[in-house]
Amino acid sequence: MNYFIIGFYALVIGASTLAAYYQKRTTFILLFSLTLISFVMGIVGGEAMLWSVTILAGLIAFSAGVSYSFREFLIILLPEDLAKEMRTAPLTAGFGLFVIFTYAISGIFAPIIAPYGEAEVISSAFAPADENMLLGADQLGRDMFSRIIYGARNTVGLALLATILAFAMGATAGLYAATKGGKLDQLLGRIVDVIMSIPSLIFSLLLLSIFGTNTVTLIIVIAIIYAPRVFRLARSVGGNVVVMDYIEAAKLRGEGTWYLIRKEILPNSTAPLIAEFGLEFCFVFLLVAGLSFLGLGIQPPTADWGSMVRENATLISFGEITPLIPAGAIALLTVAVNFVVDWMLYRSSGLKE
Amino acid sequence: MGDILSIVSKRLGLGVVTLLVISIIIFGAVELLPGDIAQAVLGQGATEENLAAMREQLGLDRAAPIRYFEWLGNAVTGDFGRSLVSQQPVSEAISTRFANTLFLALYAAIIAVPVAIFLGVLVALFRNSVFDRVANVVTLTSISSPEFFLGYILILFLSVKTGYFPAIAKIDDGMSLIDKLDRTFLPALTMVLVVVAHMMRMTRASIINLLASPYVEMARLKGVPAWKVIVKHTLPNAWAPVINVVALNLAYLITGVVLVEVVFVYPGIGQLLVDAVTKRDFPVVQACCLIFAATFILLNLAADVGSILTNPRLRHPK
Repeated sequence: MNYFIIGFYALVIGASTLAAYYQKRTTFILLFSLTLISFVMGIVGGEAMLWSVTILAGLIAFSAGVSYSFREFLIILLPEDLAKEMRTAPLTAGFGLFVIFTYAISGIFAPIIAPYGEAEVISSAFAPADENMLLGADQLGRDMFSRIIYGARNTVGLALLATILAFAMGATAGLYAATKGGKLDQLLGRIVDVIMSIPSLIFSLLLLSIFGTNTVTLIIVIAIIYAPRVFRLARSVGGNVVVMDYIEAAKLRGEGTWYLIRKEILPNSTAPLIAEFGLEFCFVFLLVAGLSFLGLGIQPPTADWGSMVRENATLISFGEITPLIPAGAIALLTVAVNFVVDWMLYRSSGLKE
Repeated sequence: MGDILSIVSKRLGLGVVTLLVISIIIFGAVELLPGDIAQAVLGQGATEENLAAMREQLGLDRAAPIRYFEWLGNAVTGDFGRSLVSQQPVSEAISTRFANTLFLALYAAIIAVPVAIFLGVLVALFRNSVFDRVANVVTLTSISSPEFFLGYILILFLSVKTGYFPAIAKIDDGMSLIDKLDRTFLPALTMVLVVVAHMMRMTRASIINLLASPYVEMARLKGVPAWKVIVKHTLPNAWAPVINVVALNLAYLITGVVLVEVVFVYPGIGQLLVDAVTKRDFPVVQACCLIFAATFILLNLAADVGSILTNPRLRHPK
């Protein structure tokens, strides 16, 4: 038994006792499960395992702290009505917003932040990290860190463009179908059913094998595959709005379909559509990452997280975590967006049981 | 009972029609190639004789609808033509690989389904507790991670650092079942992680929906003990959503397998598809896509039929 182990157990047990004494139920349960877990871990893995538990717990506490401060920061900065909403946001949503904010900054200012260009060869292949290269070099000797920064621009940018296109097509068609109804509605509905009954990864592989893999085709193919989801949602949300009296009034005023969609229906269906945009982005982003990982997405030498994982995958067998970093970057952004969407859905739906 | 039969047969008919439409899409997509298959495969520099020979071999001189029906007819009997790259019959390459993929999916499903349903019901019963919150964050993280991220993490920790399991899932027919299970443990575990998360969330949502329905409240108000509310009132109605959840996730397993197979170099049909796409080997691409799509549709169909059959309101018509 050394001081670290004694100190560690003293800290967790002391903290859980304090929490129990002050009747902080949630804190107590969290701390006490941490204590129990570390008992098991300590017996199984010894001191090394306890260190991992400490680091993990520290990381979680750190991200909770960051989320909390970022939320407070937003509450102060935002105008009154938005700040009110922010106050009700759970910590996870604060965390999500913080991550999205960070990615946006590194994507927009990539050339300023990254020390080297995305295709610049500066060292030998798989060179380890040194004072010039924060994360070492990739399989061609390019700076890993710079490429990850540029990846925020390329990968996320492409996914965002594809989502926006899918959204524009799906929402327009969905709202139009809801307003017009009839034959066109039926026809669009059937087309959407068919597209949705093919697994998206398989469908995109089929289309990409035929049209080849350049960025424009990629965006269009992905948009076509994911537009149906938006269509269904937009149609059902729009369908609920169309039956309202004010739509009837607008129709009697003699307004055209386009005006109805833009000025009457769209403003009344934004909340679910925005949440759907977040979800849709996650799907698209994961699909783009998957395709790039398979070597069929964004083509080299453009820095892209999915292909970076694949190109550096051999390092895994030497116990290096380098290939996990771009993969983790993908996961982190998706988690962040999901956290925010979760909060928005919770707020807008009746799921409060 | 007549009611159920007509609903089920309607649903089955719809499934067959969808399958036909999809086969048309898969066949038709290749027809959309600029020029034709021969031109696409041989490239711009091909001589006229070569092009003509290839067109002859593929029978491209006949009209597309005729070739479609031939292709479909052959596909139904298991003949997918010959690969453009290796000149081997496609069905030969596919049959063992498809069996491997099914094996992996089944392996993952056998672990995932009971765990997911058990945990899903548990978080539904303890909803809004700390346990539920933690489970929510963990499952959300697992769903949001790309399969290759989870796969490589598992390789790093369970194979490279500790050496518990092999990192490369190479299997062949001569291996014993135990060997196979050991070799394919990591890919199966990767899929289990994703699928359990999905299923837990879906199970939780459907159970909570049920617990909020009026008849459960009625049962509680008339003083039925808590366990009896679950067993007698909730469970019979919960089968439909649970079966739905299981079938949908099995469908996901079958298609989500592509990335996992590539990570673990598993000789399955997903890897074959990716290779074929890179080499633009269209007969193989078509065959794989058709098999994936058909499995996906069949499982979705099973989900629908299952939930119709287990719906108490339909089984006991007034």
